[in-house]
Amino acid sequence: MRLTRRAALTATAAISLPRFAIAQGDQRPSITVAVQKISNSNTFETPREQSNVGYRVYSNYAETLIESAWRDQLKPVPGLATAWRRIDDRTVEFDLREGVRFHDGTVMTAEDVAFSFGPRLFGAETLGPRQPPSEVIATGRRTFPAIEGMEIVRPGVVRFVNKTPDVTLEGRIQQNIGIVVSRRAFEAAPNWLAWGRAPIGTGPYRIAGFRPDVELVLEAHDEYWGGRPPARRIRFLEVPEVASRMNGLLSGEFDFACDIPPDQIATIERNRRYEVLGSPINNIRILAFDKTHPVLADARVRRAMTHAIDRTAIVEALWSGRTRVPKGLQLEFYGPMFVEGWDNPRFDPDEARRLLREVGYRGDPIPYRLLNNYYTNQVSNAQIMVEMWKAVGLNVEIQMVENWNQIQDRATPRGIRDWSNTSLFNDPVSGLVRGMGPRGELQLQGEWTNEAFNIEVTVLETSLDRARRRAAFRRMLEIIEREDPGYLVLHQAATFTAKRRDIRWSASHGWAMDFRADNLAFGA
Amino acid sequence: MLRYFLSRLLRAVLTIVAVVTFAFVVLRLSGDPALLIMSVDAPPEAVEAFRAAWGLDRPVWEQYLRYFVQVAQGNLGQSMRDGRPALTVVMERVPETLALTLPAFAMKLLIGIPAGIYAALNRNRLADRLTMVISVAGFTVPSFVLALILVLIFAVNLGWLPSGGAESWRHAILPVITLGLSGAAILARFTRSAMLEVLGQPYIRAASAKGLPWRRVVTDHALPNAAIPTVTIIGFMVGSLVAGAVVVESVFSWPGVGRLLVVAVSNRDLAIVQTILLLVAMTMVCANLIVDMLYGWIDPRLRTARAAGG
Repeated sequence: MRLTRRAALTATAAISLPRFAIAQGDQRPSITVAVQKISNSNTFETPREQSNVGYRVYSNYAETLIESAWRDQLKPVPGLATAWRRIDDRTVEFDLREGVRFHDGTVMTAEDVAFSFGPRLFGAETLGPRQPPSEVIATGRRTFPAIEGMEIVRPGVVRFVNKTPDVTLEGRIQQNIGIVVSRRAFEAAPNWLAWGRAPIGTGPYRIAGFRPDVELVLEAHDEYWGGRPPARRIRFLEVPEVASRMNGLLSGEFDFACDIPPDQIATIERNRRYEVLGSPINNIRILAFDKTHPVLADARVRRAMTHAIDRTAIVEALWSGRTRVPKGLQLEFYGPMFVEGWDNPRFDPDEARRLLREVGYRGDPIPYRLLNNYYTNQVSNAQIMVEMWKAVGLNVEIQMVENWNQIQDRATPRGIRDWSNTSLFNDPVSGLVRGMGPRGELQLQGEWTNEAFNIEVTVLETSLDRARRRAAFRRMLEIIEREDPGYLVLHQAATFTAKRRDIRWSASHGWAMDFRADNLAFGA
Repeated sequence: MLRYFLSRLLRAVLTIVAVVTFAFVVLRLSGDPALLIMSVDAPPEAVEAFRAAWGLDRPVWEQYLRYFVQVAQGNLGQSMRDGRPALTVVMERVPETLALTLPAFAMKLLIGIPAGIYAALNRNRLADRLTMVISVAGFTVPSFVLALILVLIFAVNLGWLPSGGAESWRHAILPVITLGLSGAAILARFTRSAMLEVLGQPYIRAASAKGLPWRRVVTDHALPNAAIPTVTIIGFMVGSLVAGAVVVESVFSWPGVGRLLVVAVSNRDLAIVQTILLLVAMTMVCANLIVDMLYGWIDPRLRTARAAGG
């Protein structure tokens, strides 16, 4: 057949015009979200970017088998799996959602799921330059310490098999490390860094561009199984200064401004076109004790410290009541594992004084290593607490330091430090055990340990008997929050996001910002 | 002359070695990059794996030696944050910074020098006092305060200009003005002082007494002699072209070398910090060399003295 110029032009027009028409017809708005930080590691592969800022963006470009209900206490809900069931105490079976397409247009298969829980996390010789960095493999092993593998039962059905019994498998799989990615796209990437900067997932938006420390551009993935995304484009812009984020919002350049300090909320809301949303999230601010310090070695001094703090007053003063004091290091979304009736040591200055008299405390200084507002309101909070401790006779000395290394430096005696604890899924294993268990930072750093506590950790991690696990968790709280305090609970963390009032959007109960169709709409 | 330049070159190399060593010691002794880059929430195993992968588990002196040998071979290392060559990461940002600092530099010269000359020629008059009031204000108001004031006026209230970002030339206007105004204020003060000193010299009176028009006295006799201190300040400004906008880049979310430096220091991303410092040190050294050459060109006495010295 002879191809004439006219025929070629006609064919070109036939191919390009409908696409042009689609592009012209896409009237969906684009939004700009100003954030303090986009990614700590400058990558978006979740096992590498294990941070709160990574959690903020990931759910827009990738999904897990079991999703978290971001606006409903992070409850486990169907994600890329429509259903799951326990086969035995080591095995969970998943029915995969049909017709899910990756951003590269391919359909998600059981092989992709097996790959995502296999070589992607733990590496393989065949991956060549795509071999994940050692820290990715370490994070994979830490999250799934006894994984045997993800077995393909038949097309559309996979089984996560563990070597040991574990009641928390579903929770572990629900974490963002368990996103499902396209095996084909991974294998086509030139190297791991290129992959890590633009992983191909199934989320409502695909990564269209990333300039490190500058911006992340997401574009609508119109073949998304959950419906056409409401925004054509989402641009996360890195604006380190809070004043600049606020100015950009108020001048109309940004549609959202994240990480707003509580004391700036009123300033923004004075302009009726904007509002600030936010609520307590799945992260609890605590204060960790180093019981190897000579003064803190006696548990009664630590107990006195817990009784001297008026948490409610702090929440009112520094957070305008916009967050809450949890009932110990646990959250209601633990469901049946939540210990009803448990609470923090009451605010009781007299009891604190009595304990200190009993110990014979003579005002020896207790060092309090402090970062400059790594956590919101951190310094003000510390100053208030030092005064509260002073009121009962405790001599706590603030030592300002610059980074976590200096916080954990053992060259000079450590006393107390600020910290936080995130529950990544609805079980105490994800919070208390992860932070304070034998493999948790508190014990690894040599700040605190307790044999009886560690015995209960084993029960909590391995027992399949819910009543026994509940009893173990309660006993752990008794030990670490009362008998031999390892930390002091302050309040739940909260994040605040300022936005245009005419955009309908709700903040989540976690770090994530959800821009799916059921949580983003434009116009009054 | 050759000996003079060789001695300057040797001093420059020693300066760069001192800068590299100082930065290494300070950064490595004040924080572990693994913990800072991986974040405090990362599993301890991942942090350990990171340390091992980047050799951070080795003694500090060994890390320094390795780094030094590497730099001597022309390899500035890789960013620990994302594994890319440090030079590539830094050079990506240099044009962004120059897009601010070069126009700001021009603004400093075009406003600062004429304002200083004008003030000196109108000493103790209203124009002089007004120029100096503005100059002192520009000199003393911190750049982040000036930046926020400009943003509040021109972005938030008037809506004429963007408050931050780097998408178009309009985004550069406020940061350039912020940088330019404070630099112009400094130059105006120095130029005025230099001019006043020169205008009080006997040769100026002699030139005037010869009947030269005042304009020619100023252009032919006062300005060249007042240029030396001004050129010294301009030399410093040239040296800060590469990384002299740290605060302004942060306030305006401008993705330049200054912001990269802040992020790299807070993450202890040593290769990036060192590359930037090397770049700054080399710019400074070059600027100083140029200034030295200009001294000779401006002041024939220096030229003669150097020639006599070798």
